Amino acid sequence: MVAAAAAGARTIRDERLARDGRRRRPATAPDANPLRKGLHLERVPDPHVMVLFGGTGDLSRRRVFPALAQLWRTNLLPQDWMLLAMGRRPYDDATFRDEVRASLREYSRVPLEDAVERQFLERIAYHRGDFDAPATYDALVERLAALDADHATAGNRLYYLATQPSAFPLIVGQLGRTGLDHEVHGGGWRRIVIEKPFGRDLDSAKRLNREVGRVFREAQVYRIDHYLGKETVRNLLVFRFANGIFEPIWNRRYVDHVQITMAESIGVEERGSFYEETGAIRDVVQNHLLQLLSLVAMEPPATFEADALRDEKVKVLRAIESLDRAAVEKSVVRGQYGPGWVAGQRVRGYREEVEVDPRSETETFVAARLHVDDWRWSGVPFYLRSGKRLPKRATEIAIQFRDVPHRLFAGAESNPEPNLLAIRIQPDEGILLRFGSKVPGLGLDIRTVNMDFTYGSAFSTDAPEAYETLLLDAMLGDASLFTRSDEVEAAWSTVTPILEAWLDGPAPSFPNYDGGAWGPPEADRLIERDGRRWRRI
Amino acid sequence: MAAGYEAGGLLVREAGEPGRPMLRWSSRASSIEGVQAELARIWASVSLAMPGEDGEERRVAARSSVMNLVVVAGRGEIGERAAAVIHGLAGRHPSRTIIVTPADPDGPSWIDAQVQAHCVLPSHESPETCAELVYLTCGGEAGQHLAGLVAPLLVHDLPVTVWWPDEPRLESSGARELLHMADRLLVDGSGWPGDGLDRLAMLASLPGRFDLDVADFALVRQSRWREAIASSFDLPRLRPFLGWIRSMSVGYAAHDGAPRATNVVKPIYHLAWLASRLGMTVVEPLAAGREPWSGYAGELRAGRRRIAAGLRPIASTAPGGTTLEVALTARRRREVLEVRVTAQAEGVTVDTIVDGERMPDRHYLAARRREGDLLAETIEDAGAHPLAAEALAMAAGLARG
Repeated sequence: MVAAAAAGARTIRDERLARDGRRRRPATAPDANPLRKGLHLERVPDPHVMVLFGGTGDLSRRRVFPALAQLWRTNLLPQDWMLLAMGRRPYDDATFRDEVRASLREYSRVPLEDAVERQFLERIAYHRGDFDAPATYDALVERLAALDADHATAGNRLYYLATQPSAFPLIVGQLGRTGLDHEVHGGGWRRIVIEKPFGRDLDSAKRLNREVGRVFREAQVYRIDHYLGKETVRNLLVFRFANGIFEPIWNRRYVDHVQITMAESIGVEERGSFYEETGAIRDVVQNHLLQLLSLVAMEPPATFEADALRDEKVKVLRAIESLDRAAVEKSVVRGQYGPGWVAGQRVRGYREEVEVDPRSETETFVAARLHVDDWRWSGVPFYLRSGKRLPKRATEIAIQFRDVPHRLFAGAESNPEPNLLAIRIQPDEGILLRFGSKVPGLGLDIRTVNMDFTYGSAFSTDAPEAYETLLLDAMLGDASLFTRSDEVEAAWSTVTPILEAWLDGPAPSFPNYDGGAWGPPEADRLIERDGRRWRRI
Repeated sequence: MAAGYEAGGLLVREAGEPGRPMLRWSSRASSIEGVQAELARIWASVSLAMPGEDGEERRVAARSSVMNLVVVAGRGEIGERAAAVIHGLAGRHPSRTIIVTPADPDGPSWIDAQVQAHCVLPSHESPETCAELVYLTCGGEAGQHLAGLVAPLLVHDLPVTVWWPDEPRLESSGARELLHMADRLLVDGSGWPGDGLDRLAMLASLPGRFDLDVADFALVRQSRWREAIASSFDLPRLRPFLGWIRSMSVGYAAHDGAPRATNVVKPIYHLAWLASRLGMTVVEPLAAGREPWSGYAGELRAGRRRIAAGLRPIASTAPGGTTLEVALTARRRREVLEVRVTAQAEGVTVDTIVDGERMPDRHYLAARRREGDLLAETIEDAGAHPLAAEALAMAAGLARG
C-alpha cells in the first residue's frame, strides 16, 4: 500500500471520485508532457550544451553540423540548446560560425532557410584549446557554467569525441579530473559519444573501455557506429520482429546460408594514412558487418529497450565460432586492389594512392565465412565480404533459403532457383523476395521472378541521415543504436584472431585484384568450395 | 521522340528526369467497363518495355499503389485542383486515384472518363513507378450513385481513402454509400461556410457510424502550433502547471465581427486538442455572443476545477479563421503562469511569463504548408491518429452550443 502510494497509484475509489469530479485529479506527472503525445516528436531532448571535441575536423563539417542543423530545422532540438565546439585553431565565435555556415551550404541534405540558419548559428560557440593541456579543461568548466547561466541549459552536457582515436583517453581523463563527468542530483546529466574505431584489437578495446569506465558509467557512454542509424538497418528489426511470416523460417531448417556484402567503388581517397593503419577488417568488418550479422542472427529481444536489444546482439557475437590459424587460412581471404577500371574510369592501385606505402600489406578487401554456433544457426554459414574499388557501391544482406526438398517440376523446361530474400541497405534501399512462377502458356516453364519493394517508390519521404537519428537518440538518452562495451569486445574477439594470424603468416602477395573486380579469385573459391557462389549484385 | 498518342493511349516520350512526374498514358472511356478495360490495357501494353543502353529490353514502368484515393469534386475546377495536388505525390504516395465529378443531375445518365498513368523515375537505374488516375464525370442519375461507380474501379485489398474537398454533402444518400466502403475520410473544415461548427459535429459522428477514420486538414495544418504550445511544458519547472490551467483562449482573424460569420474550425481545434490531452470535459459548450466581435465562450472542467474557454475574433487582414494567438493561464501554489503563442510572418512565437517574470521568447519556424504537404502528411499518418480522433470528438463537444 505504501509502495503503491509512493508510486502515485490510486485506488478504484479515488479513480471513481476523480471521474465524478468529487476529488481533485492529481497534477500531471512531472516526468511526462501530455501535450507531446501524438506530436511529431513525443519527447524532445532536455535543454543541454553539446560539447564537440574536434569541432574543426572533417567529420564535424561533413556530418555533425549538417545533422544538427537538420534537427534544428525540424524543431527536434530544444530551444535551450547550445553547441560548444572545441578545437586548436584560432577562431572566435563569429569566425567559427562562418566556417559552420560554409559547411552547411556544402553538405546539408536540405538547404536551410535563411532564418533557420541564422537561429542555428546563434546557438554555436567556439572554445579554443589544446586537448592535452589541462588549462583547456579548467577554462571549459567556466565556459560551460557561463553558457548554463546565459542560455538556461540546465547543466546537462553531451560530450562528442570527433577527434583522432588517440585523443580519446586523454579527453576522457581530463573530463574526469575537472569533474565534468559528474552527474549531480538536480544538476543535469552527462553523456559522452565516442566515434569509431573503438580500439585496434581486443586488448586496446579493453584498455580503452577501462579508461572510459574509470570516468563514466556505462550508461553514460554512447559508442557510435553510424551504420546502426541508417533507416534500412533500423528497418531490419521491424522487418524481422513486426512481421509474423518471416520469423518462423528464420533458422537453420529453412536458411541455407547468409551473405552480407558491403562494396564500395571508391578507393581510399584522401584517407591513405588512416587506412594504412586500419585496413578493411578494422574499418568495416569489426563494426558494420558484424553489427549487420548480429541484427540478422539475433533472437527476438523481450523488449525494445536498449539493453534488451544489445544483450541479444552480444549473444550472437559471442556465439561466432572462433577461428584458429588454420581456420583463418581456410575461411578468410584478404585482398588489395591494383590499378584497374571502375565505371569507365582508369583508377590507380592502392599502393599508388596518396599517403600509402608503396609496399603496403594493408588489405582493402576481406571475405570471410563465419558460423554462429547456436541453436538457431548451427551449420548455416554467414559469408561476409567487403572491399574498396569493387565494381559498384552496394550494401546488402541476402538470406538464401534451402531448395525445395523434392523437385516436383523436374521435367519443367527450367528449374527455379531457391528462394532468396535480399535486404538492400544502400543504394536503392528495399527488400526483394525471389520465387519461382509458371510462365503463362501451354508448357510448364518455370521462371524466377522478383517481388521487389523499393523504399524510394513506396515512401519517398524525407528519411533522416544516420547522424541525425543517432545524435537525437544520444540527446534523448536512448542507447539502443549504440554499441555497449561488451559488444565491442565481443566483436574484437572475432576479428583479433584473424589479425594475429595475418601478422604471423607469410606476407601476402598484393595487389591481388584489379580495381573494378569483385575481389581476388580466392574469394570466389572460398564460397565455391561449399558449392555456393557470391550473389551478383 | 515527339509526344503523341500511340497504340490507343500510350504517350511515347523519352525517359523522364528522376523525381519529376510525367504523363505516360491517356485514353478515354464512356462506361465503367470501358474504364476497367483501359486500366488493364495500360499494364498489358508491350510498348512499356523499352530498349536500354545495352540493347537489352528493359521494363520501364511498374504499377505501384499504396491505396485507392477517391476524390469527390463538386465542381470541375475542384477536381482539377485536386488532380494537380495528386500529381505532385505520384512518386511519394502512388495511388489509384479516381476523381468523381457529378454533373447535370437532371438529364439522362452518362459517363465520361479519362484514364491516365502518371510515372516517376525514382533514379536512373530504377524502373519508373506509375500510378493511375481516372477522371470520372457522370451526369444524370448515375451521378447520384457514386459508390456504384467507384466500387468496380478500386484495387482490392488496398485501403480506400475518400478526399472530399470544399463542402462535403455528408448527409446525402450517395455520400453514405460511399462512406460505407471507405477506410478514411479527408476533409478541410476550414473551408466550410459560416462558422463551420454544425458540420464539425456531424463530422465527429462519422467514425462511429461508418467505421472509418476522419482526418481534417484544418487540424493537420496547425501541427507546428501544437509543437510550440507543447514545448512550453517541456521545461520541468512549468510542466506541473498543466494540471492547474484556469483559462484557454484562441484569437482568430475576422473581417467583420458579426456572430457566426467566420469559420472557426481551426481555432476550435486548438481548444479541443488541449482539452482532450489534458483530460478535460465540456461543462458549457461554446456559445456565440450576440454582440459583434464578442466571439464564443464556454466552460470546461478538470476534476473540480472549471476552465474558461473562449474564441476571440481579432480584426485582421489575414484570411478569416486563421489562428493568430493561443493564450493559456494557469495558477498553482500562488504562482501564475501565462503562455501566449502568437503568429508571426514565418512561424510562431511563444511568450511565457511565470509570476510576472518573463522567460526568453521562443520562435518556431512554421512554413505555410500547401495542400499537397497536408495530403502527404495525412496519408503518412496511416490509420486512426489518436490525437485527431480525440481532438475531433472534443471539438464536436465544444461546438454543440
